[in-house]
Amino acid sequence: MSRLFRKLFLSNRPAGSKVANLETSLDPSVTLRKLRNYHVSKTDICHYGFLGSVLLFVFVVNPAVWIAKISVYSLFAVLFLVPATSQFFFNALPIFTWLALYFTSSTFSAEHRPPITVQVLPAIETILYGDDLSDILAASLNKPLDFFAWIPYGLFHFGAPFVVAIILFLCGPPTILRGYAFAFGYMNLLGVISQNLFPAAPPWYKLIYGLSPANYSMKGSPGGLGRIDKYLGLNLYTDGFSNSAVIFGAFPSLHSGCATMEALFFSYVFPKLTPLFVFYVCWLWWSTMYLTHHYFVDLMAGSVLSYAFFQYTKYFHLPLTEPSVYSRWSYAEIKKFSVWFTDPLTSNDNDIENIIVPTGDHEIELNSLENSVTPSIFDHDRSVSRSSATSNVSLEVQDELMSSSRPNKQRID
Amino acid sequence: MIHLPKSFLGVFPLYMGVEIALGITILNKCSGAYGILGLLTGHGLDVMQWLLYVSSILALGVYSQALKQVYSPQLLMFSLAVVVYSVDTVLTCFFTVWFSGQWFSSKHSEFTDPNSQTHQSDTSASQLNTRGNTQKSQSASQSAEFFFTILITVLALASRFYFNSILMAFVQRLLRHPKYIVDIDDIEQDLKNKNWFARCWIKAQHISYKWCRQNLA
Repeated sequence: MSRLFRKLFLSNRPAGSKVANLETSLDPSVTLRKLRNYHVSKTDICHYGFLGSVLLFVFVVNPAVWIAKISVYSLFAVLFLVPATSQFFFNALPIFTWLALYFTSSTFSAEHRPPITVQVLPAIETILYGDDLSDILAASLNKPLDFFAWIPYGLFHFGAPFVVAIILFLCGPPTILRGYAFAFGYMNLLGVISQNLFPAAPPWYKLIYGLSPANYSMKGSPGGLGRIDKYLGLNLYTDGFSNSAVIFGAFPSLHSGCATMEALFFSYVFPKLTPLFVFYVCWLWWSTMYLTHHYFVDLMAGSVLSYAFFQYTKYFHLPLTEPSVYSRWSYAEIKKFSVWFTDPLTSNDNDIENIIVPTGDHEIELNSLENSVTPSIFDHDRSVSRSSATSNVSLEVQDELMSSSRPNKQRID
Repeated sequence: MIHLPKSFLGVFPLYMGVEIALGITILNKCSGAYGILGLLTGHGLDVMQWLLYVSSILALGVYSQALKQVYSPQLLMFSLAVVVYSVDTVLTCFFTVWFSGQWFSSKHSEFTDPNSQTHQSDTSASQLNTRGNTQKSQSASQSAEFFFTILITVLALASRFYFNSILMAFVQRLLRHPKYIVDIDDIEQDLKNKNWFARCWIKAQHISYKWCRQNLA
């Protein structure tokens, strides 16, 4: 097993590279020393201030006994202080904050919750998308379709975040897991805040009660997943969804948000498999509507939230992937996305892409340079990495290209 | 000449706005495929729905091509994308009004009939209770339902107009950038050897480019 692991992941490790190394120290003074030397930025203040406020709110509002709450928070403090555990747990702070708020949501009393809307989502779905899409897709039911819908919604959804995290850790560039935890955690956290501030009834409510007024004494429904319980002789989904933490939390769909986030991160690392990930998201969208758990507008809200957080993380936090590299241990250095360098509207005289070159032999030479690496499923077209690849071209070649350029402009692409 | 934004949200470079605008619009345009998928469940579509869903799928194709080349844009492709996006914005406004009319007219009797189960009477000032005290007060009033419906619709349209202006601003900057100068004559000579779809695609790009040069450059 370890031989296979070495062959797959460690065989191309650059000599002396330490970027993929993990912290193994158990000494809290290492973390304290780092903390003392850390310069806090405005973004850090916003980030930790926001998460800290939510955690403080949960600490005060959660009805658990004080000793239990103090114990849990102390345990996390220890995990954050020990370097070996801190590298995973501290970076997952947005995820823990989301989970803390989500599980506390069920304890909010009715008088502190906003009124429930039942007409807004079906109305918006018709107005923006031309019809009750969720209603139509759940109109024709049969057993094979029930199972086909159950796979992404009732099975993959719960395991996928862990599988994606493990694969990203092993195959993506070092520190990508940090970006995933940040984007995934924030997307879910904002989703749960939105579900609490704007309670809205899901499609199963409309099927059972029509558009009549809702109240917080009502139990949740498993929707189409109730049929899966019957087929399998279980009470799993009926129990789970009847006592859900956010029964009227249709908007946004975090099933859709999670699937989109997973697809975006996987497409980032394995761009050639993007159609497969797009299919997964489309499959999950259909299943949420077929199982009467969400309106199409909820799915869009979840996916848009994910896309916005992914883009932000990509621009400011994510390490760049390298073509043909599929192991974190194969990276010699960590490169970040350059907001300015990537801007197609900026003119940078030092950028090879801005050099005017003729079509002909020189272009073939440059293309052969680009294509010299063996292609694989991990190859992808990204201008940033392409630029860094072409930057290996020597200054002499650049001068030669400049001198032989023609007036009609042609870019090296 | 209309005033176009110089940056995205006043801070970020335009290409970020373009990438986000196209990504969000592509996600929304997937509705076309699900609308047509509804045919398999035996649900019929009227003319307006057909028009909405087919135009969504066509626009999805154009936006996907444009999104692929945000970091190394081609002026012809982005000219087509901005023209399609602008026409799509006009169509979206029309469809929004049309389907709003359909929704409210179909539900009118349900909303206004006091005996209807759907009817959610507005609590008068003299009957104000602490929220949650009664089960009735835990449900949004009819006016709140209308308010949120209109608010979300208006926000969706407003963001669409903003994204449209970002795309226009991006294409305007491409038109003025020496790096993206286009020589259309070269491409026109190749047209004879292309298939029907490619010819239509290139012609659409040329028409869009001319429109952009006339109105945005």
